[in-house]
Amino acid sequence: MTDAVTTTGLTKRYGRRTALSDCTLNIPAGHVVGLVGPNGAGKSTLLQLTCGLLAPTEGRIEVLGHTPHTGSPRLGFVAQDTPVYGNLTVADHLRFGAHLNPGWDKALAQRRIAELGLDPSQRAGKLSGGQRAQLALTLAIAKRPELLLLDEPVAALDPLARREFLQGLMSYAAENGTSVVMSSHLVADLERVCDYLIVLVASRVRVHGDVDELLGTHHRLTGPRRDPDTLGPGREVVQASHTDVQSTLVVRSTAPVDDPSWTSDRLDLEDIVLAYMAQAGTHGRDRVLEKR
Amino acid sequence: MIWLTWRQFRVQAWVAAVFAVAIAAALAATAPHLFDLYQSSGLADCTSNCGDLADTFVIQAGTRLNTILYGVGTAALLLMPALVGIFWGAPMVARELETGTHRLVWNQTVSRRRWILTKLIGIGLTTAVTAAVVSAVVTWWAAPLDDGRAGRISPELFSARGVVPIGYAALGFAAGVLIGMLLRRSIAAMAVTLLAIVLVQVAVPFFVREHLTTPVSSSTPFDPENIASLGISEDNTITVHAASPVEDAWELSNVTLGPDGEEFEGPIDPAKCGPDAAGGKRECDRYLGTLNLTQKSTYIPADRFWSLQWRELGLLLSVTALLGLASVWWISRKVA
Repeated sequence: MTDAVTTTGLTKRYGRRTALSDCTLNIPAGHVVGLVGPNGAGKSTLLQLTCGLLAPTEGRIEVLGHTPHTGSPRLGFVAQDTPVYGNLTVADHLRFGAHLNPGWDKALAQRRIAELGLDPSQRAGKLSGGQRAQLALTLAIAKRPELLLLDEPVAALDPLARREFLQGLMSYAAENGTSVVMSSHLVADLERVCDYLIVLVASRVRVHGDVDELLGTHHRLTGPRRDPDTLGPGREVVQASHTDVQSTLVVRSTAPVDDPSWTSDRLDLEDIVLAYMAQAGTHGRDRVLEKR
Repeated sequence: MIWLTWRQFRVQAWVAAVFAVAIAAALAATAPHLFDLYQSSGLADCTSNCGDLADTFVIQAGTRLNTILYGVGTAALLLMPALVGIFWGAPMVARELETGTHRLVWNQTVSRRRWILTKLIGIGLTTAVTAAVVSAVVTWWAAPLDDGRAGRISPELFSARGVVPIGYAALGFAAGVLIGMLLRRSIAAMAVTLLAIVLVQVAVPFFVREHLTTPVSSSTPFDPENIASLGISEDNTITVHAASPVEDAWELSNVTLGPDGEEFEGPIDPAKCGPDAAGGKRECDRYLGTLNLTQKSTYIPADRFWSLQWRELGLLLSVTALLGLASVWWISRKVA
């Protein structure tokens, strides 16, 4: 599998504040990758380093085999809060995209705007949050990038707009096979669209992998109290909690758990992410479980 | 990129065009009458007694409309650098950083360097052309009145005539852009830009301009007929100034020296000059004439106007270019 993004010891500091420290990770190409982590984990900084808006303080980053720089035709980026020019109309934005991008796909842009029902003569400043995000996404994908980066694109949207945005993104990615990396602090958003997940807590990758694989290999085991170390090989305990008589473990295991003394439950993606965040010592529950 | 620059700037460009055309039209409409008066008053080709002719002409030409136009034209050129810096320069980058749209535009297929260069050159040229047009019209229209008044070499008019308004306006724009990207806030950048431009507009005429040329020095025997002001204190010290030796020049200094080469301060004979003197003004003047005084003055003559204009424009444009390069460097390296 080729990597869309490779970082080695990537560090970004603003003065004395460290936004991302010593981050080493690979993001595979050809996937819709979800980058999840609590606020302040460094997701935004990582994405801005990836598109070249920021330069690393230390460490290395390679995107599609090159050091990233802004103005690259190969990258599309939808920034946090999906900025657009408030006093330019929707049509102006498409013209702006066409003027500034040699690979501009005019038909795609116009089709999307028509499908979304956006009025081309409407000023972008008067659009709703969802429409604005859709316009920003249209600009990013009509550029025909090889890698599309989205920084919390739906954070400010209501549930309906959120669903529409993610559907649009998903159908585009499925049709074109574009690599997508999308960050969110809400697992529920990523669950719908992503087939690959990276959990980033405090600049560290806690777990990464295919969503199906993650779902298939993680189990919650409940049984009489015992030492988690006695589980046997091939089983990694992610999280353990004990009462006087009972133990509850979150376990990553490639082999099925067939010990009859355990009750085994499947976990959903959110439970898995939470377990890794708890392992990392953050109070992920406060931040990640904002279900809307 | 040119399209985007124009699209984002077209309202301001139209405002500038309307403003320039309005000033040009108002001045062109009143020019024939003003120029006729200038000819008929005899000031245009006067060889002697020019001072009186000038006074007469200024009174005749000083209709309410002309006075307003003269003031508006001069004020427009003096205010233009600050206006351009505040409304075109300061928000140019700062507003993008404030609204986050720099993250949108820099992720199109256009380098930051090209983005900032296109904007700097496009809007900078608009600024220069606007200043050039307004200054050309105002300089042309106001020439007779400038001739009748203090002369355009004087510090209060020099910055609002000829080619230097182009330099001041361009400098105001470039300073606004750089301050905006350093402060990253439009409003704060506007305030700081205003302060910076006012500072430059005061500092250049009073501290820099005289070093761009070599002033003329003249030493002549003190002529009591020529006294412009005279003050006598109770302790018999005196301050006496003679009128400037040349008209229309920009006087840098004008002192009366005693026989010892120091500025003359007396003491004087109270019996000849002062409240107790019997002979009055005439006797006092004659007395001062016998004291072997010298009038020493340094000034920049009016005929240096254009050479000084071009030198100052060169200086201003050089600083503008440096600010522009600093902006390009900062955008390419530092801002995110």
